[in-house]
Amino acid sequence: MIPIHWFLELAAVLFVIGSLGVILRRNALIMLMGVELQLNAANLTLVSFARAHHDAHAQAFAFIVIAVAAAEAAVGLAIVVGIFRNRRSVNVDELTIMKH
Amino acid sequence: MSALGLLQAVGQPFAQPGHVTAQLTASDGMMWTGPVVWWWILAAFTVLGAVLTITRRNNIAAVMSLVATFFGIAAMYAMLQAQFLAALQVLVYAGAIMTLFVFVIMVLNRDEAEPWAWSGAGTKIIGVFALVYLITKVGYHLFAVAPLHPEAPPADFGTVAQMGEVLFTDYLFVFEAVSVLLIIAVVAAVVVARQRGAHADGEDAETDGQGTAPSSEGHHA
Repeated sequence: MIPIHWFLELAAVLFVIGSLGVILRRNALIMLMGVELQLNAANLTLVSFARAHHDAHAQAFAFIVIAVAAAEAAVGLAIVVGIFRNRRSVNVDELTIMKH
Repeated sequence: MSALGLLQAVGQPFAQPGHVTAQLTASDGMMWTGPVVWWWILAAFTVLGAVLTITRRNNIAAVMSLVATFFGIAAMYAMLQAQFLAALQVLVYAGAIMTLFVFVIMVLNRDEAEPWAWSGAGTKIIGVFALVYLITKVGYHLFAVAPLHPEAPPADFGTVAQMGEVLFTDYLFVFEAVSVLLIIAVVAAVVVARQRGAHADGEDAETDGQGTAPSSEGHHA
């Protein structure tokens, strides 16, 4: 059988990849995808510990995280569309209108 | 139901009681059993999808790689006896959220932007090193995690019935709050993404004025 820490380390690797996407990319869409990867990594950790503890409450929490992630994606993408309407760009480096 | 059956079939080898140790090593002769091989294949698939997601210039290619990652994670859920969450992962992430991303990319119809931002490379290098440190530290502690319940969980663990029982008893309020949150998010998305009212009206009035101006002149003449 598969040791539980393999799943946890896979989740950690996914979280780092998602973080790198947010840090290194300047495309707002790709950055949102990086955030989705981070949320999925957190969910994988929750489900792993649910399995390790035989506790379904962590799975319920993961369920709620999925719902909140869906809401986050909807609002985030709407903001991207709104910004693109005004600025004709999804490059976050060019979005400096709130500076000072 | 067939999808759930498939997921349960995938998860079945892991329901067998076995002798689990957290210290399996590569030299262990019993290591490369079927589930372990599958785990490595799926993990490689998941990580490859994630890496492709953040490295593609083409947004659509990035979304499709992200979907591959979502499917890999769904398989991981099935391996962890979370059949309901595995089905939900495919439905919500690989279905709804993927559609949302693809739709927005198509709406924007944007040429590929530059893939990497090396401006402010110093701070980014510091950030990456901090991240590497964090992951090393977390990974070090994760390795120390002992399997708390190596034996297989109860047969109904992670099924729709059990998840429903938990969600509608202990977490009923949270469940309802999430539904309210989703409605708020959908309304907010519509409000944010649509043309701003005054601006759109102004444009309409302008085009209407241009369109009707000749005819009204004709009327006057």
